[in-house]
Amino acid sequence: MSRSLSQRTPTDWSSPEQVRQRGRRNLGERMFALAGMLAVIAAMACLILLLGSMLYKGIGGIDLKFLTGSDATDAAEAGIWGAAKGSLLTMAVTLGLSFPVGVLTALYLEEYAPKNRWTDIIEVSINNLAAVPSIIFGLLGLAVFLNFMHLPRSAPLVGGITLALMTFPVIVIAGRNAIKAVPPSIRDAALGIGASPVQVVFHHVLPLALPGILTGTIIGMARALGETAPLLMIGMRAFIPTPPNGILDSATVLPVQIFLWSDEIDTAFIERTSAAIIVLLVILLGMNGIAIYLRNRLEKRW
Amino acid sequence: MNTIAAQDVEISVPKMTARDVNVFYGQKQAVNKVSIDVEMDNVTALIGPSGCGKSTFLRTLNRMNDTVPGARVEGKIVLDGEDIYSSQMDVVQLRGRVGMVFQKPNPFPKSIYDNIAYGPRIHGLTKSKGELDNIVEESLRAAGLWEEVKDRLKESGTALSGGQQQRLCIGRAIAVHPEVVLMDEPCSALDPIATARIEELIHELRGRYAIVIVTHNMQQAARVSQRTAFFHMGNLIEYGVTSDIFTNPREQQTRDYITGRFG
Repeated sequence: MSRSLSQRTPTDWSSPEQVRQRGRRNLGERMFALAGMLAVIAAMACLILLLGSMLYKGIGGIDLKFLTGSDATDAAEAGIWGAAKGSLLTMAVTLGLSFPVGVLTALYLEEYAPKNRWTDIIEVSINNLAAVPSIIFGLLGLAVFLNFMHLPRSAPLVGGITLALMTFPVIVIAGRNAIKAVPPSIRDAALGIGASPVQVVFHHVLPLALPGILTGTIIGMARALGETAPLLMIGMRAFIPTPPNGILDSATVLPVQIFLWSDEIDTAFIERTSAAIIVLLVILLGMNGIAIYLRNRLEKRW
Repeated sequence: MNTIAAQDVEISVPKMTARDVNVFYGQKQAVNKVSIDVEMDNVTALIGPSGCGKSTFLRTLNRMNDTVPGARVEGKIVLDGEDIYSSQMDVVQLRGRVGMVFQKPNPFPKSIYDNIAYGPRIHGLTKSKGELDNIVEESLRAAGLWEEVKDRLKESGTALSGGQQQRLCIGRAIAVHPEVVLMDEPCSALDPIATARIEELIHELRGRYAIVIVTHNMQQAARVSQRTAFFHMGNLIEYGVTSDIFTNPREQQTRDYITGRFG
């Protein structure tokens, strides 16, 4: 039995049932906002606690001598520059390898590769590569670069290549998403006036995708900068009292230096450890800052 | 508004001829045995209900369908005696000769100047900055946009209004001196005033370029074209002089469509 709309009794918005209904809805709204706020506070509290305790313990250890010195057996002599330079050289190798290869891979897969079973397999493999635990990459570096190719042990070159393998999938995934976000109408427009596929890619797609690609790259690099485990496997945990002069010299990196100092029995190293963590965090924040700046600077609207 | 266009029909040598063109997307056939002549001095309108294959057919004329995965074109399309699907044809150069304007205005997120200058730059049409400046001015004048933008050529093309953007896209297409200009529902995203502006522009450009326009708006086809092709379900139902198609169609399906009985 159906009644037509006009025969329905009009809704009484002030009935007790309606009032209860409104009350329940408003309570739900408030609860949700509260839960969200508590989650934010919990996360921020942990972060502030961490930063605060590091600053409290380590800020006194940061002076010119600490910033310019290298590792030493005596805590008072130990400095961070050797490890920081090792990190810089390692990152340079990582960036130099993973960025061009990652961007080319992303461009090829999005713009050129036919969509078939092979490209599906490649896509799944790259996604899986991004999820492989970092220690596995360390083992790979040890087996392939050191034992098989006989590259120098403990060197930023090998560390950089190993970390590039880890960063590569991150750049590919970020790059593909950024390239996908470029509207097809821009490609049509360029093709429609006779731009070649390579011109379409380099004049239009890449410039528009670059902010996204750079953001992904810097996030990948920041992760690589904080990576410890794979570098332990390839010998970058050696005691290095002089800063490395090139990518073939023995070196260590910031997170490994932190790991090594945290293991020392001498309590004077506690301050060194905290100070080194502050240096690492400052560099990471700086990198994220650059990522945000580049994204805002290069972003174009269409 | 000039609405006498339908009457002043001229005899003209075909610029492009399509013979028995079939287009497939995978297994599905989108265009079935279509044969049309595109004439230099007449605007050709392709009309028909949504999904009738008119846009698909348009995109075979500059091989834009090449970019669609799974698309396959059969038959013969000739531009000035050259088979555009032959292996000798350079697709990139073809698209310089047969330009295209799309349904949604799609200026590059670059300055107005660079939008126009891009085509001449990549084809190496100019030797000096002055020459390029001339082409930009000439193209913007031809697109009826010069007076509106001459003082802000450095501003972004995407900051213009929709109608201005579409005229910018037309200017961009004619900056490379094409022989044919394809327009895929160029007014469907525009308001009536901007539409009238584009239609005027089509009148002005007629004769300088062979123009093929896809439209779902029959009044527009009647206003701007001298030749009309009516498509239905991938078939070319009727092709002829626009005034004949609209006043005295040979086919019942055409009559039903233009009188609004379906579609």
